[in-house]
Amino acid sequence: MSRQPLVTLEGIRKSFGDYVAVQPLDLAIHAGEFLALMGSSGCGKTTTLRMLAGLESPSAGTIRLSGQPINHLPAWQRDTPLVWQNLALFPFLNVIENVEFALKMRGVGRAERRRRAEAWLDRMQIAEFAGRAISHLSGGQRQRVALARSLVIEPQILLLDEPLSALDAALKVRMQSVLKSLQRETGITFVYVTHSQSEAFAMADRVVIMSRGKVEQIGTPQDIYNRPGTRFVAEFLGSSNILSGRVTGSTGPHLNVDGPLGHFQVPHCDATPPQSGQEIDFSVLGALCDLGPPGGDPRPNQIDARIVGEEFEGAFATIYLEADTGQELRVQKSQADIARLEPSPGKRMAVFWRAQDCHLLPG
Amino acid sequence: MRNRPTAYGLTFALPLLVWQVVFFVLPLAFLVALSFFTVRNFRVLPDLNPGNWGVILWRQVFWQAYGVTWLLSATGSLIASVLAFPCAFGIALKLSANSRRWAVFLMVIPFFTSYLVRAYAWQVFLSDTGIINGLLAWTGLGPYALLNTPGAILVGYLTLSLPLVILLQVFSLTYVDRSLIEAAHNLRAGRLRTVFEVIIPSARVGLVIAALFAFILCFGDFVSPVYLGGGHPTTLSILITDTTKSGQQWPRAAVIALMMIGTLLATAFAAVHFAYRGARR
Repeated sequence: MSRQPLVTLEGIRKSFGDYVAVQPLDLAIHAGEFLALMGSSGCGKTTTLRMLAGLESPSAGTIRLSGQPINHLPAWQRDTPLVWQNLALFPFLNVIENVEFALKMRGVGRAERRRRAEAWLDRMQIAEFAGRAISHLSGGQRQRVALARSLVIEPQILLLDEPLSALDAALKVRMQSVLKSLQRETGITFVYVTHSQSEAFAMADRVVIMSRGKVEQIGTPQDIYNRPGTRFVAEFLGSSNILSGRVTGSTGPHLNVDGPLGHFQVPHCDATPPQSGQEIDFSVLGALCDLGPPGGDPRPNQIDARIVGEEFEGAFATIYLEADTGQELRVQKSQADIARLEPSPGKRMAVFWRAQDCHLLPG
Repeated sequence: MRNRPTAYGLTFALPLLVWQVVFFVLPLAFLVALSFFTVRNFRVLPDLNPGNWGVILWRQVFWQAYGVTWLLSATGSLIASVLAFPCAFGIALKLSANSRRWAVFLMVIPFFTSYLVRAYAWQVFLSDTGIINGLLAWTGLGPYALLNTPGAILVGYLTLSLPLVILLQVFSLTYVDRSLIEAAHNLRAGRLRTVFEVIIPSARVGLVIAALFAFILCFGDFVSPVYLGGGHPTTLSILITDTTKSGQQWPRAAVIALMMIGTLLATAFAAVHFAYRGARR
């Protein structure tokens, strides 16, 4: 691929005293993509974003924008607008003055900046609030003001630091589609920091999963969901059952694995196949597991377990089970299946899946 | 629905209420009454004589002193605010939390010494044979008249108000939301631009209140105009003492005092209104 990335992070490290917030990190951000940086708090995602904006300077490594190093540029000489978690709107300015701020700092004339600010207020459907105080706006309206304020300069890249975390669930979903369509229409590269899997998966073209300052996996939401790259990612996403065992050999495309919960068949992974005798982890999505009557002949890829709970999630429900070893398993089923299976706490059932649906976790 | 005071609330409010009535409202009422009393044969007699107001308000001396006092206090308050800002800015936004505590502590130290003593100390610096003229003499300059000038009064005003103004500014700047400063940088405002476009507007209420306090302290100050200004130009506080000394004219002094209180109230209301105008929009 000859396309040059818009932003590259090369060996970026950031430490605060003894605390290492970001380990050497390499990342390429392509022009026009919606990239989500996802991880739990303290994983370094926000620090990475702040380094892009020039609000922190990396302890080591190079940040390039369109190939040029920008490490030495202070925040006010970069065009990397950021949408803050608390939005950081100026309370002493009204809506349109907030939006005009960046243009004013660039020396754009009064009439011109008013015109451009009004165009963005219009686009964000908040033109009627132009003269209002920030304190007289609702959460969703403030969100739109913050976006307009950052986008009015029509930057190449927009940084977003968990901007939706203060909104209620319904508004969050609506703002997700606003953000996504805004990104598509403008073609501006969005770098979106979040701890929320649903936000990242709903909007991003690519998701970067971070943990303790390191990248765990980069991929499309589908990739990451279906084929978690590491045990950490599988655990973090929380939608898979993670099992382990010892490789005893292989049959056709499958490895034979013996574990404390039974005998399993796991597809080879493309890279280096594990040797016999090696301990491995593998995962299987709860949504791809099935439930049936327990017992019978011991089959591969089947675990008998006791139901311990059920979590209603709308069209689907997650059934939690506990195997004899104490390991928790989850199975996601549609409401129709649930009605048929009649799972009740304490009932024993068999959890089983097709060999091709489980996934070897490297490392 | 109206909030009715509860017995519990009243129990705690009562001492303050009693204090305010006994030591503020009653003396103020007495001051108002006093301004209508008559002085006959050097004796102050209860009366309803509006003549004191006429005598004071129709006198040029009063309005001259009034203008001078207002101008000097406003200048003092402005200079104190401008001088204090870089210092308060550094303490509030650049120092670590620990150093900030030390700096605030150091700002409190001037209050350990009586203001009168500090004003006297300035005489040692400012007099014709004082330290400053002594140093200037080494370079062949001077001596300059430094003491007994309006400039010396301003020096005294700053001695009085500067530490307080710095403290109040530090407190208001400490509470400026850091993400607003970062947001300004992020939107291309450089360091200096951010100070004027974001930090000062954010801290506006506190900065105005600090300036107001400086004005109030200077407006009523007696020490600087007398000991550093040498009584010239005459300020309202000097005019009050002169009036009481000349023929026991306590009622006329009361008129001046009431004019001062009125002015301070009006200034305070105007300042608070100005401070919150931006914030309330």
